This record gives sequence, C-alpha cells and structure tokens, in this order.
Amino acid sequence: MAATIVAERLTKTYQVKVREAGLRGALAALVRPRYREVRAVDNVTFTIDRGEIVAFLGPNGAGKTTTLKMLTGLLYPTAGRAAVAGHEPWTGGAPFKQRIALVLGNKQQLLWDLPPEETFQLNRAIYAIPVADYRDRRDELVTLLGLGDLLDKPVRQLSLGERMKCELAASLLHRPEILFLDEPTLGLDVNAQEAIRGFLRAYRDRHDATILLTSHYMADVTALASRVLIINQGRLLYDGALDALVARSARTKRLELVLGDGVTEDALARFGDVRYFRFPNATVEVPREEAAAASARLLASVPVADLSIQDPPIEDVIRRAFEVDTAGGEP
Amino acid sequence: MSAPATPRSAASRPLVRRRAAAMLRALWQVNVVEELQYRGNFVASVLGTLFWMAMALLTVALFFRHTTRLGGWDYWEVVVLLGVFNALTGIIEAVLRPGLGRLAGEVRSGALDLVLTRPVDAQLYISFRRLDIWRFVDVVLGLALAGYALVRLDRLPSAFDVVAFLVTLGAAALVVYAMWVALMSLAFWFVSVENLSVLFDAVYEAARYPVSAYPGALRFLFVYLIPVAWTTTIPASALTGRLGPATAVGAVAVAAAALAATRLLWRAALRQYTSAGG
Amino acid sequence: MSGARPAGGSAWRERYAALIRAAWLVDLQYRAAIAIWLLWGVMEPLIALGIWWSIASGGDVEGFSRSDFARYFFGVTLVNQLTLAWDAYYIDRWIREGEMNYRLARPINPVHESIADNLAYKARSATLILAVWLVAAAVWPAVRMPVDPGRWALAALAVVLAAGIRFLNGYVTGLLGFWTTRATALMELQFGLSLFLSGRIAPLTLLPPAVQTVAGVLWFPYVLAFPVDVLTGAVTTPAAYVRGFAGQVVWLVAWWAAYRLVWSRGLRHYGAVGG
Repeated sequence: MAATIVAERLTKTYQVKVREAGLRGALAALVRPRYREVRAVDNVTFTIDRGEIVAFLGPNGAGKTTTLKMLTGLLYPTAGRAAVAGHEPWTGGAPFKQRIALVLGNKQQLLWDLPPEETFQLNRAIYAIPVADYRDRRDELVTLLGLGDLLDKPVRQLSLGERMKCELAASLLHRPEILFLDEPTLGLDVNAQEAIRGFLRAYRDRHDATILLTSHYMADVTALASRVLIINQGRLLYDGALDALVARSARTKRLELVLGDGVTEDALARFGDVRYFRFPNATVEVPREEAAAASARLLASVPVADLSIQDPPIEDVIRRAFEVDTAGGEP
Repeated sequence: MSAPATPRSAASRPLVRRRAAAMLRALWQVNVVEELQYRGNFVASVLGTLFWMAMALLTVALFFRHTTRLGGWDYWEVVVLLGVFNALTGIIEAVLRPGLGRLAGEVRSGALDLVLTRPVDAQLYISFRRLDIWRFVDVVLGLALAGYALVRLDRLPSAFDVVAFLVTLGAAALVVYAMWVALMSLAFWFVSVENLSVLFDAVYEAARYPVSAYPGALRFLFVYLIPVAWTTTIPASALTGRLGPATAVGAVAVAAAALAATRLLWRAALRQYTSAGG
Repeated sequence: MSGARPAGGSAWRERYAALIRAAWLVDLQYRAAIAIWLLWGVMEPLIALGIWWSIASGGDVEGFSRSDFARYFFGVTLVNQLTLAWDAYYIDRWIREGEMNYRLARPINPVHESIADNLAYKARSATLILAVWLVAAAVWPAVRMPVDPGRWALAALAVVLAAGIRFLNGYVTGLLGFWTTRATALMELQFGLSLFLSGRIAPLTLLPPAVQTVAGVLWFPYVLAFPVDVLTGAVTTPAAYVRGFAGQVVWLVAWWAAYRLVWSRGLRHYGAVGG
C-alpha cells in the first residue's frame, strides 16, 4: 500500500536579520542591516505508512514545526518534495484539507467566548459533514475524551487540559485520515496528558488513522509512538523504533533497588554510581556489560528486597544523541 | 490578596520619593532603548502625526470656505486651538494610553496582581510605566503649529499670556489624566468592557473645536456634561488673549479637584478589586 | 464515510448560516464593547453636524439648509455603519500572530469567515442606528424623510455595493500584512483620506472643485457619499443614478480583482517565509 506521508530531501531555508543586543547594536542595525541564512529543515527524508503513530522529537527550534507546516501545506519547501495521502500539500486544496487535521498546541481554533459545542457545529458546516454522521462522531469523541459536562461552558472557563481535549474533538469531527499534532500535550498536567495519549491511541485503533506528532515530552513518545524521528538543527538524526535507539546509544543500565534494613549509601557506592538514595529506595548506575554481574554481587552482599534492571531515562539517551551531534563525535 | 500599603511615616517619605524617581528614570531608559530597535517607528510615528494634523487643518480650512468665523473664532485662532489639541493628544498617546490604557486587560487577566505586589504606588506605576516616546514629538509639533498660527495672527503673546498658557495647559493635562483614570477605573467594575480608551477617543473628538462653535444642545453636552472641550479652549484662549483671569483660576481649581477625586476613585477601585478576590 | 456529503449549494448555505451564527453569538458577548464602537461611529458625524449647523445658522451653505445637513449626517451615520470595514486590523493580526495557520488548513477560504462576521455585525448595529433615527425623526422634523419605497430599494442596492467595495478594499489592505508590518498604517491613511473624499466631513459638493475631481476618479465617493445621496434624495436625475451605480460596479470589480491577485500572491509569499 502506498505510504501515507512521504518526505524526500525536504529542505527549508530562511534569511534572518542579524542584530546585536544593546543600544549600539540597535543603532548599527538601523544603519546597516545584515542577514544570515538559517537552515530550518535540512534534507529530511522519511516515509510513514497508514496507521502509524510517529513522534517527531527534538529541542526547541530543531525544525519539527517547520517540517509539520511543510507537510500540511502552510509552507512550501525550498528544496525536496512531500506527498501526503497522495496530494502535494502545497497544492492539495480543499480535497487535501478534508483528509487532514492540524492541531497547533499554542493556537486554538475554539471560539473563545462560546461553548465548545458551537465550534463543533461550525466545523460541521465548514467540513460539510452530514448531520447523522456528525452526531455519531461527536458522541464518540465526547465519550472517548470525557467531554460530557464541558460542552455547555464557554471555552474561556475551561482549564488548559479541557480546552485541548475539546480542540482535539473539534479537529476530528470530519474524521481525517491523517492527524498532524504540534506539541499536543504542551503545558498540560499529567492527568490530561495521559488522557490525550490514551485517546489518540484509541482513535488510531478505531479508524486506522495516521498520526504525526511533535513533542519534547518523552512520555508522549514512550506511551504513544512506535517510531521516533529525532531532528536537531534541521537534520534528521534518527529514524526508527525507540527501543532500538535506546539499545544503540545507552551505555549504562540502572539497578532499581528496594533495600533491606541497615544499608547505607556508602555501602552501595562500591557497586557503581549511586544516582538516587532515599531509604528504602535506591538507584545505582552501572556500565551495561556489567549489569548482570553487578546485580549478582549486590544480591550476595547486601540485604535487598527487590531489584530490577532498567534502561536509563529516555531524556538522557536522547540528550546524549544531541550532544554527540553538536560535538561531532561518534555515538 | 491586598495591595501593600505605601509607607507613610515621615522618615520613609523621602525614600518613597527617591524610589519613585528611580523607577521613572528606569522606565524612561527601558522605553527609549526598546523603541530605538524598531527602525521604522520614529519615521512612521512622525509621518502619522503630520498626516493627521494635515487632515485636521484641511477640515478647518473646509469649514472656513463657507464661513468667516466659527463660534466667534477666526481661522488662525482655531488653528491655535488645533495645535493645543495636538499637544494634548500627544501627551495622551505618549503617556496615558500605553500605561493606563492597558489597565482593563490586566484587570480581566489578573495580571494586575503582578503590578500590585511591587513596592511602588500602584497608580503612579500604572500611569507612567510605559511611554511611547515618539509621541512626544506630537506635543512639539502641536505647539509649533500653535506658534505658527500666532505668527499668522500677528499676535505675539505676552510673557503673562505664556505663563497663563503653560498653567492652563498643565491644568488641562491633569484634567485629561483624571478623566483617563476615572474611565479606566470602570474596568474594575465592568470587567468585560475592553475598549474603554475608545470611549475616551470618541468623546474627546469634540475638543477639536472651540466651545462656542457648538450649537445649543451639543454645547450643553460637551461643555457641561462631558467637559472635554474646555481642555483645549482654555489654553488656546490664553494664547489668543481671550482668557479671563476668573476662568484661568477656575481651570486650575477644577484640575486640582479632579486630581483629588480620581485619587479617591482609584482607592475605591483598588478596594473593590482586592476585596473581590482580584 | 457513511452518508453523502451535502452538495455544493446547500453546503455553502449551511456554512454561511453557521459562520453568521457564530459571529452573531460572539458579538453578543461583546455587546458592551460594540456599543462603545457604535458611540465612536456616531460622535464623528454628530460633531460635524454640529459645526455645519452652526455655520448654516446665518443661511444656507451652497444650497444646504440646516435640515439638509441633519438629514445628510444621519444618512452618513447609518450608511457608515453598514459599510464599515475594520477587517484590515484583525487580518494583519492573524498573519502576525499565527492565527492564519489553522484557517489555511481548513477547506474553506478565510474570506468567508470575514464576510459572515461583517454581515452579523452590521445587521445588529445598523438596526440600532435605524431605531435611533426613527426615534429622532419622531421628535426632530429636520431628519424626517419622505416615504419612498422605490428610492429606499435603490438606496439599499447602493449600500450593498458600497459595502462590497469597502470590504474588499479593507481586506486587501489587511492582506498586505503578508509583506509589510505597516498594513494597519495604510488602512489609517485611507481612513484619513476618506474623511474628505467619501464625504464623511461634508457633502462632496462643499469641497473645493479640485478635491471633488480627485474624489471622482477614486472609489471613495462610491462607498459613502453616493449611497447617502440616494437615501436622502439628493440624486435626482436618471443620468446621475446611472453614473453612480456604474461607478460602484466598476470599483467593485476592480477591488475584487485586486483581492484575487493579492490573495494568491500573498499565499505564495507566506508559504515562502512562514508566519
């Protein structure tokens, strides 16, 4: 089956004005403005098949949102090409836009002073959804997202998490095949984040939708995405399953311990790097190859109630991937 | 949360004054540095002011195509008044709108709380925290226009006239300031109205022309009900020699009373704000 | 998906119904702020009327009596509310603050939202002005107008055309925000010029002949002065009607063409440099 999203050597460059800080710099910029070329997206290539949930990870300014905008037709590439659901996003027009949804984390389409229901009705008309379909889909989304008692309150009275859920519902009434989500869980509390992740998974399962989301929350990735695209300074660093990335670049393992009586931090220090100690819990970091041996030694010498071997947090893994990139060394 | 009380003991009053002066100095510096970064702003601002002054002059010229006197004032006298109008609106745009103008939005969003926690007088801070410095050029242009019109009138104001002008102009500025504070404090009670400053603009248009130019019913409206027209008519009268001493003294008295009244209103508004939970 | 999507015409009817309804409800929330804007729109013609009334106290001004002025400026108030174009300001804001993005990702052109917004707002504010005019006419004979359905129908047509021209003109000015940060300044410039050239400050015949000529070759008279004159009965000959309506049609087409051009070029520019 043809891939739903195809990006081939996508590139986007901008000319940016250069200005120094302070009064002197301000005056200098007045007299003689200078420009520099910024490569926001640099030769990015990937394909995404129907039904995949893919996460675009990277620090701020890495080029995630720019790539997303190129895939939805808001920007056109300086070089390279993209195809989404068989359309070229830039020229796709109304038929293309009927098949996608774009949700931007910080800019909402919900009508601020009115209840979310009004925005739903508006979208029903804009996307020309038949009334019967609209009711079914709205009910489904309301149930999946738990919006029941929110629909009558003006949007400005809702919390950030509630607004995001309503925003998602409003964006999916036309049942798009492809969802583009830019930082969907930004600024939300843990409950709301989990609710949204659960919803997106359920939505994909039910409707075989393709979801591409950008994020800098690792939890979005571990909970949702089967596949990760790591982008930094416009370049694609990694494209594949998350587990493989961890296995490839994680040099250490962490021993998560629940200790028995009388064990001190010093007692643990001879086994490895004590990352955390708050009796009875502790975490000791050891080189990957020695994990099994170190565990055996620990269990033999120290009273341990529970021990498990874990990968280091994803943040560390990816931070190392970025650091490696900027330093130019080998992972 | 309650607003911190300004220290009132005699020992700390000079400290309060010094702090206020330092704050104003710092605000000035920040605003100037910030504005210089935007290359077009100065030019655009001056061009804008010149454009609107030209439009206003053409309007007066149009009226005078069909009459020789407007409310007993002849053409160049009306132009003097126009200059005064520009000077006053320059002060409004430079000082009042950037500061007080934001108040309504901050009351609604709760950002006002941030202001109230600062160790300075809230009214002073909000009034002068942000300056649109380019608009001070409007004041200069307005006064220049008035000066030019006086030359065309062949009337050089005496030293006394100039002093009377400065005093009444100051009084007018204070009255306008008081009107702004009064209007903006409505934001504390009517939270959903966002464009209170537009209300001022709408009504202040009447100050473009001398009080006597308005016929009966309108004169009652602009002179007694919403006394905006006096703020330009009185200072302009000082320059053109129409000002009587009684009016001048009255103007100063009104300004002082207005200032005192708005201080009371402000206090009441703050009480309302903090007691309502902000 | 199940169920047939509503076809062309009925889909658009539903879209406009929904857009107008949404705009109407939002306006309801902002009725206090809108009342203030209305007041601002009334003050200007009121002050102008006051001055002309005062000038005309000594006798007619080139054929305009005090009641003529009163009728003219009431007409200006009404027609101005019906043709007001503020779109440049929010479109410029949309472009600069990223609120264009989700609108561009939807399958309809953002212009429809603006048109619906105009319709909802003007229906409400014009009704208010009309009500005030009726009340004023009850107590003030000067502003009364003879009942003439034929002329009122023509006036309505002129107002619709005028609103169209002014809307497109304002929308195009707002779209210049794709290229410049000074789009709103351009709108202010036009606003200043229209003070004279549209007849906001005085009936056009009171302007210096040179200015009247300049106005005649631009669209300004056709967005205010002409519809007001039709309404107050100042247009008397069939030739004058033809000239007026022809001018309106020409400028409507011209600004519509400008809109198409600026929109397509603007999108291309936006796609190049982003928002």
